[in-house]
Amino acid sequence: MTIFVVSVLAILIFVLPLVAASEFSFRGAKGMGHSFTNYIWLIHQDGFSEHILTSLQLAVLSGLLNLILMVPTAVLLHLKLAKWRSLVEFICILPLIIPVVSLAIGAQVSMPKFIQNSQYELVCFFVIIALPFTYRALDAALSSIDIKTLVEASRSLGASWPATIVRVIIPSIKGGITSALFLSFALAIGEFTITSLLHWDTFPTWAVVAAQQNILGAIALSVFSFVGAVLLMVLIALFSNRKRSKTNSKLEEVAA
Amino acid sequence: MSNDKNSSRVSSKLELSNITRKFGSVTALAGLNLTVEPGELVALLGPSGCGKTTALRIVAGLESADSGSLFVNGVSYLDKPANERDMGMVFQSYSLFPNMTVSQNIEYGLQVRKIESTKRRKIINEKLELVALGEKANSYPHQLSGGQQQRVALARALAIEPTVLLLDEPLSALDAQVRSQIREEIRRIQLSLGITTLFVTHDQEEAMSIADRVGVMSHGKLEQIDRPISIYNNPATPFVASFVGQANKIPAQVTDRGNVKVLGQKIQLSKHSIDIADGRSVTALIRPESLHIVSESDPEGTAGQVVIKSFLGPLTKLGITIEGGLLVHLNVPSTEVRKIEIGDRISIMIVAEEVMVESA
Repeated sequence: MTIFVVSVLAILIFVLPLVAASEFSFRGAKGMGHSFTNYIWLIHQDGFSEHILTSLQLAVLSGLLNLILMVPTAVLLHLKLAKWRSLVEFICILPLIIPVVSLAIGAQVSMPKFIQNSQYELVCFFVIIALPFTYRALDAALSSIDIKTLVEASRSLGASWPATIVRVIIPSIKGGITSALFLSFALAIGEFTITSLLHWDTFPTWAVVAAQQNILGAIALSVFSFVGAVLLMVLIALFSNRKRSKTNSKLEEVAA
Repeated sequence: MSNDKNSSRVSSKLELSNITRKFGSVTALAGLNLTVEPGELVALLGPSGCGKTTALRIVAGLESADSGSLFVNGVSYLDKPANERDMGMVFQSYSLFPNMTVSQNIEYGLQVRKIESTKRRKIINEKLELVALGEKANSYPHQLSGGQQQRVALARALAIEPTVLLLDEPLSALDAQVRSQIREEIRRIQLSLGITTLFVTHDQEEAMSIADRVGVMSHGKLEQIDRPISIYNNPATPFVASFVGQANKIPAQVTDRGNVKVLGQKIQLSKHSIDIADGRSVTALIRPESLHIVSESDPEGTAGQVVIKSFLGPLTKLGITIEGGLLVHLNVPSTEVRKIEIGDRISIMIVAEEVMVESA
């Protein structure tokens, strides 16, 4: 009974607005009939594809940079620097506490000029705002396994440190890495406030301006953004699962 | 990995000399000396914090020593990193790589050594057969029971044909029945391969039943290392006497010429404690099985009242309060105590050639 009530509520709160928005986005001029007119209008707007590409590029870079920084940090904290864990946890929570305006202006001042002058400075900000989520995802993955014993087992079997990292640590926390990548990517692709404060243009800031010109186009834009984001996440999940099963079957072939 | 090389690897001599290790102000090892002969299984036994696991980890290269030396077949190993020591290790917690199947886990060390695939496959099959897990080759660790996981861990450690096999309390996470089964399996495999093995445990039954020699450790040092039967029957120190097996602590007095008077009987002092001065009050350590029930009219008997009676199968454990309210335990054949009930008065006497004492 409880499940039924929760399901109905979930449908009312989450699904109904989406269905309504989708239906609305296909309406023709003056709300008459259904067509792709609003979507066609949207993709013909100046800067549509350029801004999507810019956002994708920044999201991919920030996701990767996040992993490059946070995976070794989290592993080190679990293996050798356990006493620093609470300090790092505190630092990783700061982006949630510090107001975005202070973060944007304050952090920008401390960056070298060549980064300040490039839109890639946004990557640094996206990494910072994703820190609380990526650290938690990686920390949870590392806490769920006995990483110290696994590393020691690998070393005692003759593996070097790089081999241990690539063949034991990373595959063992793959779930956490994928989650961290998802979260970082999702935050970066939808980030508006910092981008707007620093006067850069990405898909979200472009979308705000574009939406002001056509109300039905704005709804189409919302639906497009939502569906696009979901599809991207599904693609990343599928890619990572396919890669995992490929690696597994390859190893099984060798073992057979 | 030719057969010749294998046979030399499995018959390695391990020597630890004066190994010390401190963690801050805590001394984990205080000059440990230990030699494990080729093909021998030595168990390090001791309470928590005695340094046994630290010693094992230093041998494996997972911990560094502050001073001392470590030799395998006369070659110094102390400066070698863990991955260059060729030592197989089985850990207390299940240490199988969760992303790999049983076969892949066993194969891991072989791949690292760049052994060609046909040979790898042959070794994997051999080891799977050795631990009787052939049908689980493609299972993942989470699909195996604790006992099966430890058998795979053993197979994985043996696959690399290690110089020394190191076992760090490998049975402590298993339930009693599986533990005794795996214990026998480890011993069978160790004997069949003749591999030099160092086994760390806090479980004396485990150590006594599996090892050629048992080293009892306390405060970072070996108190005694000997065959299990000698450790039990001729403990070298009061610590060994009280840690290994059970011992009643009964007030006694050293009399003339190395004898001790305990429960009214005169018994020879153990050779390990013979230098104690005559007339001194001491505490005698008497094993429960060294106390026998005698007739109440026996002049050498000590009378007491039965307060505990625990049936242990072939033996029954009795608890008796004697003069002064001291509680002593004795293990007697169950057939002898059928008619004895709690509250009965019985007489006991010590049946032992010599007795270990400690300062009162």
